[in-house]
Amino acid sequence: MKIRTLRLLTKEGVANVYKNKLMSAASMITITTTLFILGLVLLIIVNVITNLEARKRELQVIFYLKVEATRLEEEEVAMFIENCKASGIIAEYQHESREQAYENARMNLKNESLMEGLTPENFAEGYFVKLSNPNESDQFIAKLKLLSGVNSQWISYPKQELERISGIVHVFNYAAIFVLVVLMIISILLISNTIRLTVYARRKEIEIMKYVGANDWFIRFPFIIEGMVIGLIGALIAYLLTSQAYGWIKDGLNNLFASIRIADLQLMDFGQFAIRILVVNIIFGMTIGVIGSFMSVKKHLNV
Amino acid sequence: MNAIPGRGGIVLIKFVDATKIYSNGAVGVKNITVSIEKGEFVFIIGPSGSGKSTFLKLIMHEETPTEGEVYVNGYSVHNMPRSEIPYLRRSLGVVFQDFRLLPNKTAYENVAFAMQIVEALPREIRRQVPLALGLVGLSKKAKAYPGQLSGGEQQRVVLARALVNNPAVLIADEPTGNLDPRTSLEIMELLDEINQRGTTVIVATHEKSIVDSMKKRVITLDRGEIISDVKRGQYTNED
Repeated sequence: MKIRTLRLLTKEGVANVYKNKLMSAASMITITTTLFILGLVLLIIVNVITNLEARKRELQVIFYLKVEATRLEEEEVAMFIENCKASGIIAEYQHESREQAYENARMNLKNESLMEGLTPENFAEGYFVKLSNPNESDQFIAKLKLLSGVNSQWISYPKQELERISGIVHVFNYAAIFVLVVLMIISILLISNTIRLTVYARRKEIEIMKYVGANDWFIRFPFIIEGMVIGLIGALIAYLLTSQAYGWIKDGLNNLFASIRIADLQLMDFGQFAIRILVVNIIFGMTIGVIGSFMSVKKHLNV
Repeated sequence: MNAIPGRGGIVLIKFVDATKIYSNGAVGVKNITVSIEKGEFVFIIGPSGSGKSTFLKLIMHEETPTEGEVYVNGYSVHNMPRSEIPYLRRSLGVVFQDFRLLPNKTAYENVAFAMQIVEALPREIRRQVPLALGLVGLSKKAKAYPGQLSGGEQQRVVLARALVNNPAVLIADEPTGNLDPRTSLEIMELLDEINQRGTTVIVATHEKSIVDSMKKRVITLDRGEIISDVKRGQYTNED
């Protein structure tokens, strides 16, 4: 097909959106509704996952040096930790010197007599480390064990907690994919139904085109452009609705969380996913429109 | 276009022992053998159910013969790949009883559509469409939509659409079936003019007076079979 013809048919498809206002509106509402629901469900899931990931980052690797570690070994560990911080493996850490450990112990013990005869030299240096990526804790711990100053028996990490949270994140990830697929199927069915009505109303037109000698693509192309335009407009409307609705939901829930003192639960700003939601909407909307058109024109092409 | 050489002129349409039996057992046409040459004007007549429509549908490849062969403009209709059907149809101009114009396009756009399908140059379209509309006497109604035109005017638009690509054959299925006698005669006169310009014209009709006055070749069908084929015939079939 020549470029000139494609341009002609594209114009035709765009014009048809307006010429068949009622059907276009019906299809658009269907796409907008599904994408709106899809957007909200995805936002909820993303929020849950983000909060869980934040929770994971709060988990600390706690380790102590050997009591008999030399100054050189202490410096080696300090250097290693600093390097990890610089390269972004460690998000943040706290250091507890022998003196602080001694002081902390003295303050925490009820019976000070237990401390008798002990000096800071009897205590070990400690580190409390939050990793940037908690899933890499194993590798980090393996590297720690290579340092001669670190007491490998005194390395602790709440691995089970991490796995539990990771498991929940997994479930939500699958849930997101499931919702995506189900909503996509539902909306394709809905859209193809609506477009089928449009095409049915215009089956005479298709028939005439066939009798005059138009080939399948010549007939199909404007319908596909039509579906694409409807999908695009529906997607944009859905995006606006989603951003509005999410704004209200976020404010409401954040107030609620604050009032019942779950301060560490925070819904994210819409701006953080705006682009992603927009892209998902546009891709979904246009795909749904195109597939819907394709499916419904097919039946009437066999003349 | 490879035409099939016949006895006299060039044969454009040829049925060889063609039979069409529909899936419900109804007989469309039975053992038809006939040739139509370039430049002929042929009436296909017969009572309803005699196979006139099937005859035309076989030419347009709306139906395929269950037995025998049909050749149109060098295309063998037998086992024709789906993708080639549009090309066959583009070599035919088709006129229907119920007009079949695209309702949301103007007269001009309806005629232009036939040219857009064959991917004609816009310059060609702008040149040819007014000519075709002029030929059928509708230059002044180019911007009207089908709904704003009378039956006769709509049929003229259809004729312009059928002619604009200079088809070798013009097929008309009851072209005057929905028109009053005066308008019918005007359409027939147009078809005759088109024929004079060299286009082969095939008209299925059951309007006795028109057939009798035109003195053209008349093929009479009855129950799917050809019962007569007369060079300068009359509407002999009494129904």
